[in-house]
Amino acid sequence: MSLFTLGIARGLLGQVLGMVIGMLLTCAVRILLGWEAWAAEPAWTVGAVCSIIGFLLGVGSLDDWLKWTRGIPTPLHHGPPVDKPAWTRYFSVDYNHKVIGVQYTVWGILLLMVGGTVAMIFRTELARSGLQFLGLDLYNSFIGMHGMIMIFAILLGVGGMANYLVPLMIGADDMAFPRLNALGFWFNVPGSILLLLSLFIGGWDAGWTAYPPLSARGPIGYQLFFLGVFAIGLSSIVGSLNLLVTLLRMRPEGMSLFRMPIFCWAVFATSLIQLTATQLIGTSFLMVSVQRAIGMGFFDPRGILGEVSPMVGGGDPVLFQHLFWFYSHPAVYIFVLPGLGIVSELLPVFSRKPLFGYKWIALSSMAIAIVGFLVWGHHMFVSGYNDILRIPFMYATLLVAIPTGVKFFSWLGTIWGGKVHFDTPMLFVLGAISVFLIGGLTGPILATVPTDFPLHDSYFVVGHFHATMFGGFVFPFFAALYYWFPKVTGRMYNETLGKIHFFIMTPAFWVQTLGQMGVGVMGMRRRIADYDPTLGAGQIENWQMAVTIAGFAIAFGVMLMLWNFFQSAEVGAAAGDNPWRSRSPEWQIPSPVPEHSFPAPLHVVGEPYDYGLADAGYVTTASTGDD
Amino acid sequence: MAKNRRHFGIATVLIVICTFVVYWVLDSVLLKPAAAVLEAGPIDYLFDLHIWLIAFLFALVAVFMCYALIVFRSRGDEGDGEHIHGNGTLEIIWTVVPCFVVVYFAWISTTMLIDLSRPNPDEYVVNAEGRQWSWLFTYPESGAVTADLVLPVNTPIRMDLTSDDVLHNFWVPEFRVKQDSVPGMVTHVRFTPTVIGEYVLRCAELCGTNHSGMLATVRVVSEEDFQLWQSEQLAQAQE
Ligand code: HEM
Ligand SMILES: [Cu+2]
Ligand SMILES: [Cu+2]
Repeated sequence: MSLFTLGIARGLLGQVLGMVIGMLLTCAVRILLGWEAWAAEPAWTVGAVCSIIGFLLGVGSLDDWLKWTRGIPTPLHHGPPVDKPAWTRYFSVDYNHKVIGVQYTVWGILLLMVGGTVAMIFRTELARSGLQFLGLDLYNSFIGMHGMIMIFAILLGVGGMANYLVPLMIGADDMAFPRLNALGFWFNVPGSILLLLSLFIGGWDAGWTAYPPLSARGPIGYQLFFLGVFAIGLSSIVGSLNLLVTLLRMRPEGMSLFRMPIFCWAVFATSLIQLTATQLIGTSFLMVSVQRAIGMGFFDPRGILGEVSPMVGGGDPVLFQHLFWFYSHPAVYIFVLPGLGIVSELLPVFSRKPLFGYKWIALSSMAIAIVGFLVWGHHMFVSGYNDILRIPFMYATLLVAIPTGVKFFSWLGTIWGGKVHFDTPMLFVLGAISVFLIGGLTGPILATVPTDFPLHDSYFVVGHFHATMFGGFVFPFFAALYYWFPKVTGRMYNETLGKIHFFIMTPAFWVQTLGQMGVGVMGMRRRIADYDPTLGAGQIENWQMAVTIAGFAIAFGVMLMLWNFFQSAEVGAAAGDNPWRSRSPEWQIPSPVPEHSFPAPLHVVGEPYDYGLADAGYVTTASTGDD
Repeated sequence: MAKNRRHFGIATVLIVICTFVVYWVLDSVLLKPAAAVLEAGPIDYLFDLHIWLIAFLFALVAVFMCYALIVFRSRGDEGDGEHIHGNGTLEIIWTVVPCFVVVYFAWISTTMLIDLSRPNPDEYVVNAEGRQWSWLFTYPESGAVTADLVLPVNTPIRMDLTSDDVLHNFWVPEFRVKQDSVPGMVTHVRFTPTVIGEYVLRCAELCGTNHSGMLATVRVVSEEDFQLWQSEQLAQAQE
């Protein structure tokens, strides 16, 4: 079997070829125009665009559509590829949502590891004041790189959970548009490769937010970063479209919206945001990209002619921030809503009690999604935008706290009076609640403008959003990995290792986030390679060291988890179909899930979370009469 | 129900204790720099109010959660919990009560913000231009141009900020307030230094390679010293 039977190998080759062709094309055009043939920035930019297309062509994700243009029918193939080993399907284009879900998840975990490694490098640098081993520019590239890789990783993790679980939870055979689903995944691969590659052609030094004018003047790495984000954004858009249609059109008979498993609501709200907001980050980065490449000074107050002609100019750097945050604030809810959905999904199972206030939780996700669109200006309180804007954005931001509170209280209501089991997934759910609580509670102090003055762009913000991201994504994601591992592999993970992972990671994270907030209040700015050791009456270094140690402990915990999964996939005990005694549809079918998940169409006959009510069914596959 | 009442009684006591403990922990970890301007008063007051709120809400959720986990843990049996789907009254309470709390916070913040940004007819104006990676201060009254900032104590100050290249941010942690400086426009930040001393201005907006080192000294001096300094500057400029 040659390497190139694997789609991903062909894709990578296609990406390299695409890059070369794009560069040659640029040189050719420049020669025709009578300019010097080689100019690095346009060459890399056009090359990067072509490299994305090259990858997609190489991996074969566009094959079927290309055939359609020539009138060739392409029946959907089910099952592992013929005359190739079954495992190869995970490395090639495959239309089964369960395969795609695993592809998303694994690629997400890989990026999580890369992003984590970058963080550990600069965290080591920060353990002591003074510059130890990183240069200033590399440090600046690393913090932006860490941020953006992690965002990619989170989006992939979210995509993985949604793609694997949504069709199973609503008893659908697959997603509404399987080919689009595959395309959605494969965009991520060339996208993340471009992002990583950017480090090797100069990096980019303006952080993940890439505010111009700085981002309009730095190294060429910016262009690859922008295009990488563009590719991931396309993935978000087609992926969310697919999920929305699936949720709206493919539910079985009897499953009204309020009878869906609650995770589906979270995915629904998330997808609405992704489908409508992602364009804005694409636009904002595209505008910087063309400003750099051909001098269209959208964000340049002086224009390319600078002092030469006062007529040219009038671009506005603050405009970028509006466009950027119009996506990037709602994006934080893209990261956390699915995770909060996991918390709501797992609590009833391990508390053996119905979800408290199902409708309130479902609608609070929608409320967060909608109000989340109205608060972007809280990132810009001191940006120099019109002062009066501070007030409506302050009110709107504080309002988001309310649906968030509803979730917390309903979770407490779910546990109260239950019979709580402490298996590893449940531990991570509880860890998630505790950590998201810290993150959510530190939001309002940033939202009231007078207290945001000292805190904005300080390390306090770093503490705040790490707590929200860990509580809203990382902990629930790990809970989900432990929880559905037996469904995906058919085997049980090692419970002891899982618990050790939890008891290392959770306290470590508390120390980390508290330490980050502490040094921020002491006066340490975010995104600095070196800090003043006299801050906080000289206590700052102790906290920095604590945060670094905590970071390494978290990394160790994550490695323990991955090792656990690798081992258990081989030697774990057979898990059985429903080890958690869940009522959800995916647990009523064999583990691992067969190619066609459900033997017959589902019928919904009851409520999803009727724990504690004898003989109350939720779904049946038994054919009732005429079908 | 009677049992629930006893649970709530115990939980309430624990919440009160826990609130104070959490406040104490936060108060000893979140060490604010010394306050050196008038504006730090209201800002630190609001900050403290937030910390109390955080401590209380953290205690509320954490105590109920831990309490429920202990009392309602499964004791090895395979049975289920009570079959309760929710409680509309409770949901309404915990939606409406927080509404009042956040509107209260938004309201006091709004009035405070208006006070903080109100122009003062006597304010002393200094222009500051951020550039990679230093500051340039000009004093319109005297025409002096310096790299370090010198300010008279107890005088309302207005900084007019601009930038020569990329975004920067004017921040002295002891002064609390903060404002971006943006190329192509003039932004303002107002404060009244109250404590004579030396502080560090720290650029708080990522501005490229040496952002971490973009510092400037800020000296707050007595009114007389300031006049003296200003005339020195003028004399130097005339040479
Ligand atoms: C739902 C989970 C939340 C997530 C994932 C989240 C995430 C974030 C992130 C990533 C930032 C930093 C952006 C940057 O400057 O680079 C941030 C800042 C901020 N967050 Fe949150 N947040 C959440 C909840 C909240 C809540 C509940 C509030 C307020 C009620 C809030 C208020 C703020 C404010 C005002 C800032 C701006 C701080 C500043 O830059 O000065 N956040 N948040
Ligand atoms: Cu935000
Ligand atoms: Cu700076």
